[in-house]
Amino acid sequence: MARQAQSGGRPAASWLRADRDRLVASAPVTHVGSPAGTHRRRPVHTALVAVASALVAVVGLVALGGQALRGSRTVDVQLAHRTVHATSIDNAFYACIDTQAHSLVRPGQSVTFGLTNLADVVNMIMGFGSWVTVADPASSADIVLTLHDGTAAPGTCLGTTVVATSRGPGGRTIVRVGTGAQVPGQGPPPAPPL
Amino acid sequence: MSTVLATVAGMCVLGAAGLLPVLATVGLRWYSVPLAPLAGAVAAGLAATASLTFGGSLLDWFLGIAAVAAVAVFGLLIVRPDLGLRAGPATRSRVSVDRIVGVVGFLAVVVACAWSLRGLRTPTVGFDARSLWVMRPGWFLHSHSQLLIDMRTRNLVLTQSAYPPLLSASVAVAWKITGIHTARLGVTMVAMLDACALAAAALAVVQVGRTAAVRVTRSWLPLAGGVIVAVLLVVIAAGITEPFLTNGYADPLWSLAAVGAVAFGLQLRSDPSTRAAAVILVLVAGMTKNEGFVTAVALVVLVAARSIGWTGIRGARGRVVAPLVVAVCELAALAWWPVLMKAIHARGASSTFSTSQDLAHRTDAVVHGFSPYLHVLVLALPLAVVGGVVLRGVRRRVEVGNDVWAWLALGTGLVAVASALVTGSGAIGPWLLSTAHRITEYPALEGWWIVGVWVVVAVAGLAGQATPDGTDVVAHATPEGTMVHEGELVGVHA
Repeated sequence: MARQAQSGGRPAASWLRADRDRLVASAPVTHVGSPAGTHRRRPVHTALVAVASALVAVVGLVALGGQALRGSRTVDVQLAHRTVHATSIDNAFYACIDTQAHSLVRPGQSVTFGLTNLADVVNMIMGFGSWVTVADPASSADIVLTLHDGTAAPGTCLGTTVVATSRGPGGRTIVRVGTGAQVPGQGPPPAPPL
Repeated sequence: MSTVLATVAGMCVLGAAGLLPVLATVGLRWYSVPLAPLAGAVAAGLAATASLTFGGSLLDWFLGIAAVAAVAVFGLLIVRPDLGLRAGPATRSRVSVDRIVGVVGFLAVVVACAWSLRGLRTPTVGFDARSLWVMRPGWFLHSHSQLLIDMRTRNLVLTQSAYPPLLSASVAVAWKITGIHTARLGVTMVAMLDACALAAAALAVVQVGRTAAVRVTRSWLPLAGGVIVAVLLVVIAAGITEPFLTNGYADPLWSLAAVGAVAFGLQLRSDPSTRAAAVILVLVAGMTKNEGFVTAVALVVLVAARSIGWTGIRGARGRVVAPLVVAVCELAALAWWPVLMKAIHARGASSTFSTSQDLAHRTDAVVHGFSPYLHVLVLALPLAVVGGVVLRGVRRRVEVGNDVWAWLALGTGLVAVASALVTGSGAIGPWLLSTAHRITEYPALEGWWIVGVWVVVAVAGLAGQATPDGTDVVAHATPEGTMVHEGELVGVHA
């Protein structure tokens, strides 16, 4: 309202836009309220501000520069051979158990994870937890998936295989072993940073 | 489709969803560029929450929310064409230099962010990323009934699945539109969102330099200082947040978004554009992780308190209502997911608190566990004291917020995380060993941002002393009493 009144009834925004490049209202003032263009400086205060500004700027910039160098080196660790090697093994392991799980679970089948070993449950969630259809209650699952950790052998993922247990005709228990991928060597994969 | 193309597609979709709301609220600013995908990520987070609450697919909700936001923006522009899109501050003098520095600052920050993401060349997928952050997107693409089972069933053991949804929901959107359901795409999407939050927070520092150049001195020094400090802060932030910046963890995103929210909401000059940027970043922080949620709630309160100010407390009703409405809306959006987790009895929704009498020991362990990562405070505190005593006037003229706001934001975030560890029921030693590096990212980054802002203010102070005519830039009073620099309009849309 105040803006409209001062602009002769025009909408506030147009008033503001119209006056964008010219100054309005009261006479110019400086930040200290002294008459325009006559800013008073106190020599001691001015010197103090100059010294403090220089101190803060120099100390801060040196610290920022030093920490930036340190930060750059930290990032470079991600490109080190050791990190690359550990990553490739880690990715290969989880891709391997994912492929084996795909060989055991048909679309639409519900699963549950065998709870014999907490670490194995976590590995199964990490490997194929995003796509399996988890049953609730667990007893209603079509398939129980577990990991079998053994020695390194052909057809295993660093010595681990995915095993599916299901009920066949006549209540017969059917046990199948995952196929389709293998990673030579002995697991578990190197622990990534937590 | 390669992972690179899929990441570009995912970011473009998020950016498109967030573009109009950002342009309407933040305006045509350089920092709107990284804010657009982040606003899209907020839409994805809200879509996941709505999908779990009411049913329906995540993508339908995402497109619906984006469409409603776009329609709301267009509707607002039709009803109130005078509002328009917020343009950046117009300055009559030094316009070309300021604009060139704006472009240079933006490009420098983008290049620094891209260089800092070089760790992505190693396709690492972190432990938590694989077990939660880039695994849960698959759940968000399941049917509603299956998603409820995934969130509730005790057989899945992971209690962290009740964590806020923004990150996983954003990855789920990328998975859905590209058809590529890989952990690698999840990691690259998370890294790009991290980079957006980092760029936004760094561009706030560039903005401090630009404001200083306009308000305190006609020198180019603060402009250059702002750009240099912003680039250094990007590299520092990458060092603090690696390896989690490029392995899919959620900690960098909430930490960087919170730092950006402090920069825009509590450090930069308070105007509608910076407050809108702060809202987006607060929502990103609070909808990403539990620690971010607690910090975001504190930031909502602090930003509202700053907006209201003494004038509002003394009874200026106009200064109270708008900030309170914004704060309540933010809190409602932030609280939706945790309340929903309680309501559906999600696994991990209930907190466990220690009943032991060992709080002193746990507090001591937390202090010692955090200390190695917070050495920046040893530098930031004395700089802030010197600056606060001697450079207070320069800081006020630059119109950077009082440093106490930033320290309050740092302190509340630090205390919130430390309190969770002290009162938690987990064994404190292993807990600290595995998390201290990550959960101290926010206070460490905030400490460096405080240092960075003081450096730009100090450079402005130096330049002000060196101004040839020895005078400050002249300001004028508006009818409302707001100090306005020549040719610049403040609070056009306030």
